[in-house]
Amino acid sequence: MKKLTAVVLAAVIFFCTAGCAHRTEKPIRFRVVTSFYPLYIMALNITDGVSDVQVDNMAGQQAGCLHDYQLRSQDMKNIEQADVFVINGAGMENFMDKVTAQLPKLRVIDSSKGITLVKDESGEENPHTWVSITNAIRQVSNIAEGLAEADPANTAVYRKNAEEYEAKLSLLRKKMHEELSSISNRDIITFHEAFPYFAEEFGLNIVRVVNREPDSQPSARELAETIRLVRASGIKTIFAEPQYPESAANIIAKESGAAVYSLDPAVTGENKKDAYLTAMENNLTVLKKALK
Amino acid sequence: MSVIYSLIGLLLPFEWTEFSYMKNALLAVLLITPLFGLVGVMIVNNKMSFFSDALGHSALTGIAIGVLMGVDNYLVSMMGFSLLFALCISAVMKSETSSADTIIGVFSSTGLALGIVLLSASGGFAKYSGYLIGDILTVQPEEIRMLALILAAVVLLWGFFFNKLMLVSMNTDLAASKGIRVRLVEKFFVILVAVIVTVSIKWVGVLIINSLLVLPAASARNLAKSMRSYHFTAIGISLFSGVSGLIISYYAGTAAGGTIVLVAAVIFFITYFLNQARAKS
Repeated sequence: MKKLTAVVLAAVIFFCTAGCAHRTEKPIRFRVVTSFYPLYIMALNITDGVSDVQVDNMAGQQAGCLHDYQLRSQDMKNIEQADVFVINGAGMENFMDKVTAQLPKLRVIDSSKGITLVKDESGEENPHTWVSITNAIRQVSNIAEGLAEADPANTAVYRKNAEEYEAKLSLLRKKMHEELSSISNRDIITFHEAFPYFAEEFGLNIVRVVNREPDSQPSARELAETIRLVRASGIKTIFAEPQYPESAANIIAKESGAAVYSLDPAVTGENKKDAYLTAMENNLTVLKKALK
Repeated sequence: MSVIYSLIGLLLPFEWTEFSYMKNALLAVLLITPLFGLVGVMIVNNKMSFFSDALGHSALTGIAIGVLMGVDNYLVSMMGFSLLFALCISAVMKSETSSADTIIGVFSSTGLALGIVLLSASGGFAKYSGYLIGDILTVQPEEIRMLALILAAVVLLWGFFFNKLMLVSMNTDLAASKGIRVRLVEKFFVILVAVIVTVSIKWVGVLIINSLLVLPAASARNLAKSMRSYHFTAIGISLFSGVSGLIISYYAGTAAGGTIVLVAAVIFFITYFLNQARAKS
């Protein structure tokens, strides 16, 4: 019995001190938590150079889109300690009602506010807004406004950073429009529903989306239909995503004679400020090569 | 391979064999299902159907270890872990501290839980959920060659070991008195099951791999009159449900693995009622 008491006591003391140490470790005045990677990159840019603000990403940098994301207790703790929680909105964070139910006081910035959402045939809204640069700019400005309101001390810095980043984004958008204006072939096939906003922006025509559910494989019939469609329509390019296995894309390509290229929705990657810009530059190179 | 492809195209000039991924899937089914039928017979005989299920679940941990170590080919890590797992189960079972089903249940849930924990720690479980259902359509020609080699090896081993295995499964004391090294034969079988389950898990899936092992043999047991007919019926039923399940899945647009198992389950119930009717008459 004595032994047991000792063990319990030791455990209690250990957890208490560990908890205290954790709290004193970070003298952060203002904490921003983003739900997933694209928003994290935006927030990094907006808070650039502000020393006492910390930006954390809730889902890991390799988690990808938050379809079927399971909240971990660590995530809840992360959100709970945040001063603001930045979400993509448009249905990407389908677990949000669980969060708001538990943390009614949490300040949430919905970055896709004001963006006209694309709906698929079943009427479901597509959450992959940031893949279009125009929407990304809108999201950056939404986040910056939200942060400026929540943390008035740094309002000027947030606005200035956001303006600079938006300028970079629109410069890239201009470049992409110019270089993509001359391509002759605009019909593409993509995997996973990530590119409608991107395609809309650059005048690409998504003929078919294979594998709407990102983590399941298309059925044999769906593959066959897609192959016939590719053969009949003369589409030369299929775009897979670096985040998902290419096996189905390879099957379709092999059977139909089309080529597989990788198009990046910038949903995973390195934790660098320029990650989104780099991903889009790469997409431009790929598109020019694939659709010339 | 191209000879085999054109042969399939010649013999089966149907819509579903138009594309080579379906030809690959058909070949894989033709190799995996007899393998499963054959091994399933012994699994059902030895009352080990729960054991193979545990091995299937352990594959998830194997994948997780592969992901954590940054291995591209999960087969190596899965194989390593499931062999370790299988030998652990049989060692703990030998100690006879709890009943076999309890021990296997413990290991099965441990394998699954450890897999989920490790995979979710390394960034989201959803990416690997394909392994739960399996995907026979992505089987590659070199993998088909590997399956063919394994089938040949298992048939050969079966020829050498069958009598010993059979004797051990019926009566270990009798087997030992005949000079059979019981432990070795048991270990051999456990390793064999582990290898087969691990190799095919990518195409059949964690959730249904065991049904494919157990159902054909269980159906055959309802019908068979001798050991020989038991084997051949099991292999026949396994092949039939594999091929017909694949074809149905093509036209119905459903997942191949699940459809195959469903066909096998229907066959089981038919044989069950046939057996009932025979027993009454």
